[in-house]
Amino acid sequence: MSQFLPLEGVRICDFTAVWAGQTATMYLADMGAECIKVENPFVWNPMTRAASPRINKMMAAAAPPWISGHPGGDPGPRPWNNSSAFIHVLRNKKSFTVDSRRPEGLAIVKTLIRMSDVLAENLALGTLEKLGLDDDAIRAERPDIVILHLPAFGRAGEYAESRGYGAHIDSVAGSSAVRGYRDSAPLSNIQIFAGDFFAGMHGAVAVLAALRHRRRTGEGQVIEMAQVECSAQMFPQAALDAAWNGREHRTIGNRSIEGFVPNGVFPTNGNDEWIAISCRSDEEWHALVRFMGSPAWATAESLATAAGRGEKEDMLEERLWEWTSSHARDDLFHALQAAGVTAGPVLNAKEATEDPHLAQSGVWKELPATEDYPATKFHTPPYKFSKSDVGLRTPPALFGQHNDYVYRELLGVSDEEYERLAAAGHIADTYDPNVIATA
Amino acid sequence: MPAPDPAPSGALDGATVLDLTSHIAGPYATKLLADLGARVIKVERPGGDPARQLGPFLGDIPGPDRSATYQFLNTNKESIVADLKRPGGREVLRRLAAKADLVVTTAQPKVAQKLGLDYETLSGLTKAPVLSITNFGQSGPYRDYRLSDTVLFAMGGEMWSHGLADREPLKLGGTAALLQCGAMGAIAALGAIHAWEVHGTGQQVDLALFDIQINNVDRRSSAILSYRFSGRLQTRPENASSGIVGGVYPVADGYVEVTATPGNYWNRFVEMVDDDALRDPKWSNPLIALDPSAKEEADAIVYPWMLTRTRQEVWAEARRARAMAAPIYSGIDIADDPVFRERGLWTEVEHAVLGTFPMLSRPYIFEKTPWRIRSAAPMLGEHTDHILAAEGYDAEAIRALREEGAIA
Repeated sequence: MSQFLPLEGVRICDFTAVWAGQTATMYLADMGAECIKVENPFVWNPMTRAASPRINKMMAAAAPPWISGHPGGDPGPRPWNNSSAFIHVLRNKKSFTVDSRRPEGLAIVKTLIRMSDVLAENLALGTLEKLGLDDDAIRAERPDIVILHLPAFGRAGEYAESRGYGAHIDSVAGSSAVRGYRDSAPLSNIQIFAGDFFAGMHGAVAVLAALRHRRRTGEGQVIEMAQVECSAQMFPQAALDAAWNGREHRTIGNRSIEGFVPNGVFPTNGNDEWIAISCRSDEEWHALVRFMGSPAWATAESLATAAGRGEKEDMLEERLWEWTSSHARDDLFHALQAAGVTAGPVLNAKEATEDPHLAQSGVWKELPATEDYPATKFHTPPYKFSKSDVGLRTPPALFGQHNDYVYRELLGVSDEEYERLAAAGHIADTYDPNVIATA
Repeated sequence: MPAPDPAPSGALDGATVLDLTSHIAGPYATKLLADLGARVIKVERPGGDPARQLGPFLGDIPGPDRSATYQFLNTNKESIVADLKRPGGREVLRRLAAKADLVVTTAQPKVAQKLGLDYETLSGLTKAPVLSITNFGQSGPYRDYRLSDTVLFAMGGEMWSHGLADREPLKLGGTAALLQCGAMGAIAALGAIHAWEVHGTGQQVDLALFDIQINNVDRRSSAILSYRFSGRLQTRPENASSGIVGGVYPVADGYVEVTATPGNYWNRFVEMVDDDALRDPKWSNPLIALDPSAKEEADAIVYPWMLTRTRQEVWAEARRARAMAAPIYSGIDIADDPVFRERGLWTEVEHAVLGTFPMLSRPYIFEKTPWRIRSAAPMLGEHTDHILAAEGYDAEAIRALREEGAIA
């Protein structure tokens, strides 16, 4: 099936970090691009392969699970190869190492650039330039290359020098202001940074489009995607209500901006088990009322329309909260769906791994054990192509795993030169023990 | 009907997409294609895309063309109304599908079968790829289940650990989960277009909203892999602050979000606040975070510093110190921000009836093939006659189709 891969023959020189950048190139790798991650044994990229290059069991246990869920709680000697937060975004990619800060390392990177169709990066502003790889230098090696920059706040303009991760990008993009409980001050964005997901996908869209133009015209180009400007597109209703009508959207908890009433998340009789319910139409509301046995509080004529229900939303939510509390979540889920009501369980991560629908949908694929993690079911990409094998073809790229391939096969380095570069520290499958683990 | 302006060309110039999507996720996928130059022919059911009824509305006056949701999601598209339950409507679909480089649908499997939008039927009309975006995919126990943005994020996304421990799990703002799915739709669509143009491969591309959110990198995929690896579950935190300094702080005109975790970020934060008391080495002791009086001591310095500055002042200080702090912006701030305006986050669209109004502009800047608004979101059936004429229907045939209700 590989002959039908959409990006067959496209090579990416990948300098991306964290989530937005690394997922952008992951989607392109899924589509068949040969994505070569450029890594440096002497430079620790924060939030790119693990929380830290030196992390022990105790530190891992003290950190939040999403970032430090290493196998069996033990990061082992190479935490960069088994972090739950990052390794899955390295699927279908290759990894090679080089100290690009040294002239001979830079020369190697430039050779790779000459063989690449795309260069992608979201390093701190100015990092590539400091290496001597500004756009002109890159294009001097490969004039028709597509360059993707994913800066947080833009490459130019007053905000360009602002630092930030997902939390800060979401704050400025308008996500944090509309994400939270109705009755409280803005909730710190310590849990979900919606913009990373969004920006990564848009980065891939941009490159896919630019590659089409290049295929048809031979012309490469530079793409700048400020993650904050991309993320702002995730809340168009709030932005346009402001621009058109001067209205400010604030937190509405789990209520709907689409006019669905009721719309929320309600407790069921299990421990921390919740069900989300949306009445997307008056019909769905009536179906819900019938399903509940038409209790008196729900049958008033004034509740027949969404507008009428909107005036009584507090009361409706209180009553529903009481009603759902005595029901078993999963029974309610299936029964409400059968009754024609939009409803679903709030599935925690464990429940997602056990969900019967997902078990059948092919979204999980077990990968064999490596030295760094046991045999484990990983995510496959959500898109299923009937002819192109855009799925999980190769496991997450371990650090330096493809040095042999890149140096010998791709760059044509001799055995002698390979040995020399290895001795000089360019070629490695671990980080230098003295690498500085700064955030 | 003015023909779309041909220049300058976009990256997807020359690609034709037959768009049978409605509501939010599907239309966002095809909007991303249209804004990069693809010709997107939106086939609307009689009465139109239900998103036309979604607020907010221009001037707070409801109307099928005044919806912000609809206007945002359908820029640069053409609209033809066809009733696919009628033979005349089916014939229109057949002719349009034959010329498309990609067909995109969002009908649920059962409805798709009824309307002839299932892959088996569509692949008889065109060799081009067909992307079907559904709630739960083409098979499995939930296949015919209903979804909303909230239920989608509840089941697929990492809602369970989002919010506070003693309260209910929280969704994202707005319709973020659906729009995220739309972006994934555009990736799948472009992958399909590449395979079509490079290899001549027509195929079925199946994309389920549930699967997309299960793949949501923030932080569903991590939480799931963490559970598989370590058995640990990410839970909702007791409170939304973290460490000695970190979280949301009130400032003179709103709020800022601050990260000052030990190490570099703490040092830069101290540099930003520039208070010698915070330079005491005791703050670098990792155990200090466990001491409530230390947090109080830090708060006594940090809160007054924050409250005597505006968001922009704090942000400027953060830039100076390279500290991780940023203002919490509302839609109003995004609409008014002079830097965003200068960079081009906003544009204006011209609408034949509504006049000129502001619109969010590009998510990305292309050097050679600009993102561009060629036309506002189409009025219902605005391009019906034009599209049909190009397909060889004469005025009489178009009138007959209209009379039988096959088109509008």
